[in-house]
Amino acid sequence: MKPGYKQITRMTPAMRTVHWINVVSVLAAVITGLYIAHPYYQSLIADPALDKYVMAWNRWIHLIGAIMIDVTSIIVVYLYFFSRFDKPYKKLIPNRANVQEFFEVIYNLVTLNRRKMFDSTHSDSFNVVYFTIMHLMLLFMLFTGLQLYVQGLASGQSSIGAWWPWLLHLSTDWTLWVFGSKMGVRIAHHMTMWWIIAWVMFHVYYQVWRTIFWQEGDIAIAFGGSKFKKETKSE
Amino acid sequence: MAERREAFKMLFSANSAKVETNKGDAYYDKLFKQCRARLDELKATQPLQAIDFQEILSDEGYDRREFMKWASAATAMLMLPPMFTPLVAEAAELMTRVPVIWLELQDCAGNSEALLRSDGPKIDEILLDIISLEFHETLMMAAGHQAEAQLHDAMETFKGKYLLFVEGSIPMGMEGQYGTVGASGETFHEHLLRVAADAAAIVAVGSCATYGGVPAAAPNPTGAVGVMDVISGKPIINIPACPANPANMVGVILHFVLTGQIPELDSLLRPKFAFGYRIHDNCERRAHFDAGEYVEEWGDEGAKNNFCLYKVGCKGPMTFNNCSIIRYNDAVNWPIGVGRGCIGCSEPDFWDKYAYERPMADANIKAPTGGVEKTVDEFGLGVLTATAIGIGIHAAASAVAGKKSDEGEAQ
Repeated sequence: MKPGYKQITRMTPAMRTVHWINVVSVLAAVITGLYIAHPYYQSLIADPALDKYVMAWNRWIHLIGAIMIDVTSIIVVYLYFFSRFDKPYKKLIPNRANVQEFFEVIYNLVTLNRRKMFDSTHSDSFNVVYFTIMHLMLLFMLFTGLQLYVQGLASGQSSIGAWWPWLLHLSTDWTLWVFGSKMGVRIAHHMTMWWIIAWVMFHVYYQVWRTIFWQEGDIAIAFGGSKFKKETKSE
Repeated sequence: MAERREAFKMLFSANSAKVETNKGDAYYDKLFKQCRARLDELKATQPLQAIDFQEILSDEGYDRREFMKWASAATAMLMLPPMFTPLVAEAAELMTRVPVIWLELQDCAGNSEALLRSDGPKIDEILLDIISLEFHETLMMAAGHQAEAQLHDAMETFKGKYLLFVEGSIPMGMEGQYGTVGASGETFHEHLLRVAADAAAIVAVGSCATYGGVPAAAPNPTGAVGVMDVISGKPIINIPACPANPANMVGVILHFVLTGQIPELDSLLRPKFAFGYRIHDNCERRAHFDAGEYVEEWGDEGAKNNFCLYKVGCKGPMTFNNCSIIRYNDAVNWPIGVGRGCIGCSEPDFWDKYAYERPMADANIKAPTGGVEKTVDEFGLGVLTATAIGIGIHAAASAVAGKKSDEGEAQ
């Protein structure tokens, strides 16, 4: 390690695992979801229909990706409150310190790092708010997506029992009420995908930007779990 | 509206979505006895029309065997076990004893057409001919004061016993003045409330009467709503679709004659026997959907080979109706069978959200301001473009004028 720098752990192995599962799952869900919404390539395979399951495989990958995100979402919600490492919810409480830090991070971004008046060793409140938006969007996709899924279980039965469609109706039928119709839910589900992609674009950009301008190796957090901070007296 | 939403919310309970096709012997034995008693009771009453059903059937060229075939199909459609077939046949013959009042409000009369029209009537249509239609503005000879007297008569004579069929939406805008009926200038809303007050049950026929339908499509100039939005405290059965399938009208009336009750309904008050299953799951082109074989444009090779119509806008995957099973015109054909996609006509908001003949990703949606229409994907790409421009500006500015943290300090 470069002398004069200290190493700070920011993501535990569990957090990094969740992060990369989410990356792969969201990517898979977007690629297959675009196909489900509007099949954009043709399956020119000289086989009868019963041998090629192009839409069926797309849906399968989409649903597996969705299930993985659903599971990580539950873990993330748990860690927000009960993590032994950092409890992100503490940064969401709109107290004076958090609000001040939130705006300081934005000033840092818009002044192109000419002003940096917050401690960048820990996860700042802007970061936590930004990630919470993502997790809320993923939860929204979970509820709307499961509503679209349960429409295929019209018989009220499933291979794992009647409790499954029952639970899905119980937990997701409110989306029909909110969006007025099945198609309303579908449009909301599709539109949210675009917001998630926009979120990812800024997220990747911002992490690269921090790495370049803060000079603290932030991009390494997602891989090695830690970043570096120059040891100075000024902070 | 708020009330409708309440009802909507309450009805979306987990139970409502389940279609129970086998309720056990004990249940059916009890129901059988109830139906037997109900039919005997009806038999004892005078028919309202001097019609011999068997004679009409033979005049139209149907023998007893064909009638019994129809009866077993109707029994299956109502999700009853085969032992009910003789009862269904009997109920069909007793349909002359059910008084029906039919109101036509803001619509195109398509459901009246469905009720009447057929070139060579099928048994379903014959049955709809012999129900005792006491009042139907569009079909009756009388007009003006005579028609009103007729309605008054029917309502008095069959107070609390008649089935009220409503076709068309109710315009609520401009205090209902978009639609008035009769010499007194009664609005459609007042008219409906008055006739509904003494009905045994109300059957909203077609998507207009169910959800407002086409008249309620954006921007809904007349403030059109469905029957369930304005009537409360009465049993309401919705038979949406554009037009409603006569088989489902017969089904509801048969069920009423047979049991004296309304059929089991789903969360949108639609009979489960008709709207419990998704079109997509019983579609003959489903294999092509899963295979990714789609009609790319009308008349192409895919179309000639009966490929899936999803890419030309079929909404079967989001539509609950029984037309993929019972079809239309005595099971002759149905929209997807003739090579065009489903437009989701039995679902709420179908005109705005389903009937655009493109996949949903290419559907026009309104901006939050209600203004310019763009497709979902155009909106999405707009969001991404805005994000990319923002990032580009920030990145360029950072490259030119950004300050790296260790600059200056390191020197």
